[in-house]
Amino acid sequence: MTDATATQITVENVDKHYGTFHALKGIDLSIPKGQFVALVGPSGCGKSTLLRTLAGLEGITSGAITIEGENVTGVPPRKRDLAMVFQSYALYPHMNVRDNLTYALRLKGVPKAERAQRAEEVAATIGLENLLDRRPRELSGGQRQRVAMGRAIIRNPKAFLFDEPLSNLDASLRVRMRKEIRALHDRLNATSVYVTHDQIEAMTMADHVVVMRAGIIEQHGAPLDLYERPANRFVAGFIGSPAMNFVDGVIAEDGRHVRLGIRSNSTIAIDRTLEAGREVLVGLRPEHIALGDAQDASAAFTVGAVEPTGAVTYVFSDDEPELIAIADGISTLKRGDTVGFSIDPGLVHLFDPETEIAIP
Amino acid sequence: MQRIAHTIRDGVGFDVLLIAFALFYLFAFAGLPILYNVILSFQQVDMFSLGSLFHEITGWENYVAVFNDPLASRVFWNTIVFTAASVFFQFSIGFALALYFNQRFPGASWIRGLFLAGWVMPGLVVGVLWNWLLSGDFGVINWVLMSMGFIDEPIFWRSDTDYSLIAVILANVWYGVPFNMILLAVGLAAIPDDLYEAASLDGATTWQKFWTITLPMMRSTIGAVIALGIIFTLQQFDLFAAVTSGGPAGSSMVAQYWSWELSFRQFDFGRGAVIAVMMIVVVLGVAAIYVRSTRQETRL
Amino acid sequence: MTDTRLRNSVMLAVAVILAAIYLFPLYWMYVTSLKTNSSIFAVPPEFLPGAPQWETYSLIWGESNIVRYLANSLFIAFGVTLVTAVVGSGAAYVLARYRNIWIDVALFMVLMLQVLPPSLMVTPIFVAFTSLGILDYPRIGTILAISAKTMPFFIILCRAAFMTIPRELEEAALVDGNSRIGAFMMVVLPLARNGILVAALLIFMQGFGEYVYSASLIADNRLQPASIGMTNYLQPNVVTWNAIMAFAATYVTPILAAFVILQRNIVSGLTSGALK
Repeated sequence: MTDATATQITVENVDKHYGTFHALKGIDLSIPKGQFVALVGPSGCGKSTLLRTLAGLEGITSGAITIEGENVTGVPPRKRDLAMVFQSYALYPHMNVRDNLTYALRLKGVPKAERAQRAEEVAATIGLENLLDRRPRELSGGQRQRVAMGRAIIRNPKAFLFDEPLSNLDASLRVRMRKEIRALHDRLNATSVYVTHDQIEAMTMADHVVVMRAGIIEQHGAPLDLYERPANRFVAGFIGSPAMNFVDGVIAEDGRHVRLGIRSNSTIAIDRTLEAGREVLVGLRPEHIALGDAQDASAAFTVGAVEPTGAVTYVFSDDEPELIAIADGISTLKRGDTVGFSIDPGLVHLFDPETEIAIP
Repeated sequence: MQRIAHTIRDGVGFDVLLIAFALFYLFAFAGLPILYNVILSFQQVDMFSLGSLFHEITGWENYVAVFNDPLASRVFWNTIVFTAASVFFQFSIGFALALYFNQRFPGASWIRGLFLAGWVMPGLVVGVLWNWLLSGDFGVINWVLMSMGFIDEPIFWRSDTDYSLIAVILANVWYGVPFNMILLAVGLAAIPDDLYEAASLDGATTWQKFWTITLPMMRSTIGAVIALGIIFTLQQFDLFAAVTSGGPAGSSMVAQYWSWELSFRQFDFGRGAVIAVMMIVVVLGVAAIYVRSTRQETRL
Repeated sequence: MTDTRLRNSVMLAVAVILAAIYLFPLYWMYVTSLKTNSSIFAVPPEFLPGAPQWETYSLIWGESNIVRYLANSLFIAFGVTLVTAVVGSGAAYVLARYRNIWIDVALFMVLMLQVLPPSLMVTPIFVAFTSLGILDYPRIGTILAISAKTMPFFIILCRAAFMTIPRELEEAALVDGNSRIGAFMMVVLPLARNGILVAALLIFMQGFGEYVYSASLIADNRLQPASIGMTNYLQPNVVTWNAIMAFAATYVTPILAAFVILQRNIVSGLTSGALK
């Protein structure tokens, strides 16, 4: 807590095999003290496996994990002093809330009076004062979630591990708990590792987002870094909602424009000079596409579906590949219209079509 | 050494220890006896040679003796008849009752539960009860049959060679019906109501619904129940001991009782082992077919 | 509305008649046990007992060593339940916890061992136990043999109970500071308690009513259980059916009582293990 830049958890070249399945492939990661790190990726990407290897619930095939400088590879969970919040909350059904909260303290041999006092304190922190004698089955989903949080907090662990803790809550409660978890993290000056498949959760909560796919880390960095400078097509498509549009393109003769492979003859400007005739993959974020009059624009598409949400309107093209653009407010566009569009050259993402890596 | 302690305390060593403990026990008290049984079947074992673990090898002599025994073919057919008749009637009556209690009416599940009282009884007591019920002169079953005009003379169930096997079958059917019924009831309850509702809208009659929905949906349950019925019937011993003791003159003798009688009444353990070996092969065969045919979740 | 009520009444009436027919042997056991020596042979049979003859019960309690027999039955039943539960629970837990080829093989073996007929297994067990000296302690030997028979059934039933416990609960306990055995004892076992108790009760009933192994392995009359005690009455041409039925009633009434009280649990426990 004194040294804010100290490294709390490091993962060095960790491999994990399940039989023939290669779940983690040479993972390297270092998590500074006090940071909120989100592990995000599609299901099966290895994010939960990585979290469970940190907890010690899964062994690793090779590599090393250190916590506060101590190599904990092969150390059982009970000696790692980490707290974990599970997706299903994993509250002990045969114990009341108080016993759930203090179970870890009991195992550590903390005297009963002190346990009771800590339980009261934690219950006050998370707003469960009146529920200490209830059984988990008598609680609502949100209350269970809080007990699970409290059970982690009370231990004052070296780090918090979260395994998709909000996925069982309804949408509005999820948004609220997002803020509460983050506020709690800040108040406790904790180190947190948070697994989620929801990139919005990762972007809104974390200081540092780790995007994983098929057992490797595709890219990690601050949330807006990932949004603004995705390293490859996968990260570009994964971060941001609705997802980025991808269109094949060819660099024009002047090297400063790219011709889009959509039905209408469309060209957009880019902010760098590339070899003429080079084939590229163009990434356009829906929220960056500015719709306008077809006559004035160098790019246009035919409108397909139009989905108004009130605040914004999603406009889909009738093309293949389909483009999505976001128009502010309520749009008057309708199916069959031709609409022009433009995009700030600095916001156009270009990827190599073979390697799918971003072109600098 | 430390690593072993570590894995038992915190690793999969704990699981290995737990399962090894049970498997070792089962191997010692079930696996080894099976193997030992095969050895015994080739040996001459009587009261005088019991003290040692290994005995005089006699080759196929015990097998030859068993096959040449005048009782052998009788026992063979009795075992088949006993098993087939028991399973058939247990299943049919059990299924009929399960269907009846699957209708919704007040008290249905409670009354259905009462039937299981038969199932929790010790087999020997069931045998003794039926021994009394089937008694020739004063048995209540004979009296009922006579007063209803089905028979003119009392049947001496236990001492008439034509009826002794039927007597044991009757007792066994009574004993096995609840188990069949309850398993089939679980299967029936698992059929979603909307299938029947959809069939009604399609114009199916009750009879058609039974043939086109109930039976096809129950196929795996029925297979399981019949397989279990065969297995349990081949294990049935207590009823023979309490009703007929395999008699008179071997008329109700089945293989699982004969094996025991050769060993523990005639003290010819080698021949008892011969029948045990053959029957164990049959039972394990039935069980293997059954377990393999229930693919995803192993049953029993 | 009235149609439904009529239908329900008819259904219920038929159900009661079916149950009455089925349960008649049990009724007949109790009625016979309360009859006099002569009225058991009355023609037509007396379906309602006259003045209940409780003396029959005093008689068998006084003469037939029934207390000793029942004590032996209890001893064997407790022993079998203890051995089966202690050895079997852990295995059931492991078989529920993993899914892989080795577990399938172990499960297959357990299922196979469940189907072995005791009357066939008892021959090699008797010969081996005799020569190894185990039968110097016949009741212990009997308990060991019966437990090998009851254990697969117990494991299958308990495995179903363990499978209902989410894996995450145990993992939470590990993260909270438990060793494997700590998590097993403090979290997994308490949660599987009901399933284990029902399974143990079923095993207890089996041990209490067991006959084949006891009859084959226990030669000393003083150590024999009630199932053998009953057969001692069953000589050819017996006439004391009221005494036999009183013995039987004394023997099975505790089992039936336990069954009636715990019927719901037993049925659900049984079916969850048998057909999943």
